Amino acid sequence: MAKITIGDLSLKDFKLTQRVSNLKDVYFKAMPEVCIERPRLVTKFSLGNGLLKKERISVLDKAKTYRYVLENRAPIVWHKRSYQKGMLPFEFKDNSLFAGSTTSKFKGVPLYPEFLALTLWPELWTITNRARNPFYLGKEDAEELNYEIFPHWMENNILELARKTYRPPEMKLLERLVFFLASKPNCISHTIPDFSKAINKGLRAIIDEAKEKGNKTSDALQKEFYAAMPEVLEGIITYSKSIAKKAKEMADNEADPNIKKELLDIAEINNRVPELPARNFREGLTTIWICWTAIHLENPNVGLSLGRLDQILYDLYRKDIDNKIITIEQAIELISCLWLKIGDHVPTIPDAGEQLFGGTGSNQAITIGGVDKNGKDAVNDLTYVMLRATELMKLRDPNLNARYYHGISSNEYLRRLCEVNVNTGATPAIHNDKAVIHALTKKGDSLEYARDYGVIGCVEPNSNGRHYGSTASILLNLTSALELTLYNGKHRHTGMDLLISKETGNPITFSAFDEFKNAFEEQARFLIDKSTTLNNILGRIHQNFYPTPVLSALFEGPMDKGKDIIQGGAVINSSAATIIGLADVADSLSAIQKVVFEEKSCSFEKLLDAVNKNFEGYEALQKRLMNPDKTPKYGNEHPLADANVKWIVQMLDRAFGEKESYRGGHYRVGYWTMTNHAGFGRLMKALPSGRKARENFTSGITPVSAVTPVLTKSLNSVATQPPECLSNGVALNLKYTPETGDREKMLDNFAASVKGYVDYGNGNGTGGMEIQFNVTTHDTFVDAVKHPEKYPELLVRVSGYTAYFKDLNPQMQKEIIDRTEYLLSKGSYVYYEPFQL
Amino acid sequence: MPLNLELEKIKDELGDKATDKFLELLLKGMEGVFSASKNKIVSAFTDKFKDYHKNIEGFKGRYLFRTSDNLVAASAIFENGDMDVREDAIDDWNVRITFKNAAALRDFLFSQDQDILNSILANTVEVDGNLNYIYKFGFLARDLKKRLGLE
Repeated sequence: MAKITIGDLSLKDFKLTQRVSNLKDVYFKAMPEVCIERPRLVTKFSLGNGLLKKERISVLDKAKTYRYVLENRAPIVWHKRSYQKGMLPFEFKDNSLFAGSTTSKFKGVPLYPEFLALTLWPELWTITNRARNPFYLGKEDAEELNYEIFPHWMENNILELARKTYRPPEMKLLERLVFFLASKPNCISHTIPDFSKAINKGLRAIIDEAKEKGNKTSDALQKEFYAAMPEVLEGIITYSKSIAKKAKEMADNEADPNIKKELLDIAEINNRVPELPARNFREGLTTIWICWTAIHLENPNVGLSLGRLDQILYDLYRKDIDNKIITIEQAIELISCLWLKIGDHVPTIPDAGEQLFGGTGSNQAITIGGVDKNGKDAVNDLTYVMLRATELMKLRDPNLNARYYHGISSNEYLRRLCEVNVNTGATPAIHNDKAVIHALTKKGDSLEYARDYGVIGCVEPNSNGRHYGSTASILLNLTSALELTLYNGKHRHTGMDLLISKETGNPITFSAFDEFKNAFEEQARFLIDKSTTLNNILGRIHQNFYPTPVLSALFEGPMDKGKDIIQGGAVINSSAATIIGLADVADSLSAIQKVVFEEKSCSFEKLLDAVNKNFEGYEALQKRLMNPDKTPKYGNEHPLADANVKWIVQMLDRAFGEKESYRGGHYRVGYWTMTNHAGFGRLMKALPSGRKARENFTSGITPVSAVTPVLTKSLNSVATQPPECLSNGVALNLKYTPETGDREKMLDNFAASVKGYVDYGNGNGTGGMEIQFNVTTHDTFVDAVKHPEKYPELLVRVSGYTAYFKDLNPQMQKEIIDRTEYLLSKGSYVYYEPFQL
Repeated sequence: MPLNLELEKIKDELGDKATDKFLELLLKGMEGVFSASKNKIVSAFTDKFKDYHKNIEGFKGRYLFRTSDNLVAASAIFENGDMDVREDAIDDWNVRITFKNAAALRDFLFSQDQDILNSILANTVEVDGNLNYIYKFGFLARDLKKRLGLE
C-alpha cells in the first residue's frame, strides 16, 4: 500500500472542527493553575510508609507510590471550570475526545516536592498575582502546601540529598549560576518513551512478561525491578478504567443523545486501553495519552518527548482510513484534541527562573517524517495529517520536528514543511537526516537505531524509545570558560579576589594565539570536569532515591536487562550537555587572533582594558571588532572564523566524550540554548568579540546577529561544522521576512535555502544538521511588545522549542527582534536598529 | 520596644530604604509576632497575627545571617514552636546567609520581581547549607509582610 494516498498534501480544505475551535479558545483563555493533587498523594503515601526516612528508596517503593497516586487521583473526564486573566473563574463546556489530564486542572501546574517545588514556597501568597506568567493558587491549597506538604520535603529533595550525602564542592559552582546549570535537581526527563509495545501489545502483556521474568531470575535486584513493573502498570490501567467508569456514570445521567454517545465511547475506549492492544487509531492515541499522564506523575515534564508518532501510529491510521472507520477530517480532529491535551500543563517556574527560562512550555517534541530503519522514505499520509493539525492549531506544545533526508524525502514534502513554517510563523523545525544519522553512528549507535531517531525537547536526536540520553543534563555557559581564561582563573562576576579554577597564565604575557587557545581549553575542561562530576553525583542520588518505574516500563531495554532506566536499563545510554555562547566565544577568539596576534593592531592589555571598561572610551575599537569586514566573524565563510568554531566544537566533543556517565556511556555535546543565551547574556560582562555587557548571547549554533549579511554564507559556515561533534543536536535560528507579493516564489526560495544548507558540499558532505525559523515581520514583533494582548497566539522559535512571544521576558523578546532577518528574494539581510527595551 | 512600634519600623524598612537595623528589626519583629499570635489576649483584639505561629509548629531550624565583612551577625533558632533570636553567630546552622548590605538582604527576601536566585545572580547574597530552609524563611518573611498589609 502506498504511503502517500492523499492528493492535496496541504489538506487545505480541512479546517478546525467546532469542537476543536471551542477547546482552543478555552485553552488560550485559561490561566495555569497550581495543582496540589500529586504532592498531596505522594506526601501521604511517603509518610505512611516511612519512605522519607529510608536510606534507599527502591524501585518497588516508587512503583507502589505511583500506583497509589494513580489509583487515588481524580478521574476527570471533562473539565468544567478554569481561571481567566485577572484570575476570574469561568465555566466552559469541555468535550475533548480524550479524557483524563496531567493534573486535576484544565491547565495545571504540577508540583514535585521531591525536586524543585519548594522554590515556590516564598511565592505562595504572591504567585497568583506576579507580574509575569502568574499561576492561580487558591488560599486553601497554598496553606496545605505550607503546612502539610512542603515541610516534609526540606531534607528530602534531590539537591539537598546530594548536598548532604556527598557535600560536592562542584555544587558551589552550580549555585553561582554563571558557570553551568544542571537539570537533575529538577528531573531526569529529556527522553522519548517507547509507546509501540503499549499500543500493539497492551500493558497487560507487559505485566505478564515482567511476572514471568521475575519468576525466572534469582537476582534480588532484578526480582525487585520485575515486581515493580506490574505495580505501576496496574496503576495506569486502574486510572484509565476509573475514567471509563466516571464517563459511564456521566452518560447515564446525560439527556443529550450526542453527548451521551460521546461519553459512552470514552467509557468503552478507556475500559479497554491501555490494558489491551489498541484496535484503532483513536485507541492508539488514547493509549499514548493515558501513558503520557502517568509518566508525568514520576518526573516533571521538561523535554519529555513523544517521538515518531507518525510512524508508531501509521498502521492503525491506515487501517481505519482504508476501512472507512474514520475520515481525514476526523483524524485531524483527533490529533488536534491530543495536541491540546499534551499542552494541558505548564512547568513550575519560580519568579527568578523566568529570567533564564521565561516563556518555556514543556518542550514536548514530536517527530515526523525522515527515513525508516531500512533507510527508505518514511513520510506517510499521517505525516501530512499531523502537519495540517499543527498548522491549524499553532500551539507552543507539542514542539513539532520534521526529519528530511535530501535525495530520499520528496521535494513536495520539503516545500510543505516550509509552507507550514510560513503559516505558523515558527514550526516545524527541520532536521537533516543525513547529518544526524552520521553523528549518531559516529557515537556508536547502530545504523538501524540511528535511522530511527526521534527528537527530544528542543532538537536533540536519540534513537526512539531505546536511548536514554538525558540530553539536557548540563547547560554549560562557555563564555565563563573564556572569562576564566581572560582573568587567569578568576571571574568578574564572582569577584577578582576569588580563584575559581586554576591559573592558566595572564593572557597579556602570551606571545602566540595558541597559548591563549591552550589556556582556554584548560579552563573549558575545568568546567566540563566539574559539571560532569556533579551530574554523576546527582545521577547517583536519583539511583538511590528516585528510580523511575513508570518510564522504565515504557522503554526498550529495562525489561530485558531487569533494571531501571536510571540504573542503565536502556538499550543505549549516554549523558549530554548543551553549550551556551558558542558564537560569542568563537568570535572573541577570532578577534584576539586577528587583532592582537596577527595584525598586532591592539595589544592584549588594551583589549582587556576595553573589555573591563565595557568599551567606554574604546568606541572605535568596539566598532572595528563588530565589523565583519575588519574582524573575522563566524557566519561569513571566513576561514579563520569558521576554523575557530570548528576547533571549539571538536575540542568540546573530545573533552566531554572522555567523561563517563554514571549509567555507562559517555557525554555528548549539543548547541541549543532555549532562553538561556538571553538569561546568561544579561548576567555577563563585555567580551573581546565587541559584545557589550549584559547584551544577549547568540542562540544555539547560530552566528551572532547583524554581522552576517549574506544568507548563503551564513548557512554554509554552519553547515561546515562537523556533525559528529554535534551529536546532542543543534539549533540554527533563522529569521525570514514573510513576503506577501509572490508567495510561491517565496516558498521556492525557502525550500532552496534549506536544500542548500542540508546539501552543503553537493553530496560530498553531510550538510548542516538542523534549521528552524521565525517568519514574522519585524513590525509585528515590535507591536507585540507594546500590545501583547493583541497577539496571544504569536508563536516564535526560541532556540530549540517554540513559545508564545507574549510570555517571553523582555530580554528574550529583544533577542528575537534583533536576530538577523533575511529577505529570501534577495538572499541578504534587512537592517534594523537594535531594539531598545 | 513595643511590638506595634517594632512593626511600624519594619514597614519603614520594607519601604524606600533599608538601614543597618533591617535584619535586627525583621528577626525581632518575627519573634514578637510569633509570640503575639499565640497570645489569647492579643488574639482577642486583632486577627492580624492569627495562626502565624502555626508556621513553626514542629519546625526545627537554625539560621545564621552575617554580612560579607563579618561585622554583623545574627542567628534565629526555631524549636518547640518558638523563635529565638540571638545577636551573635551560631555554629551548627542549617543555612547561612551572607549578605553584602541591608538592601541586598531585603531584596533577597522580599522583592516581588526578584527572589533568591536573582540575588545570587547579582552576587549580593550567598547562601550555604540547605536551601530549603531559606525558602521556608522566605515564606515566613513574606507572610509577615502580608499580615502587615504590605503584600
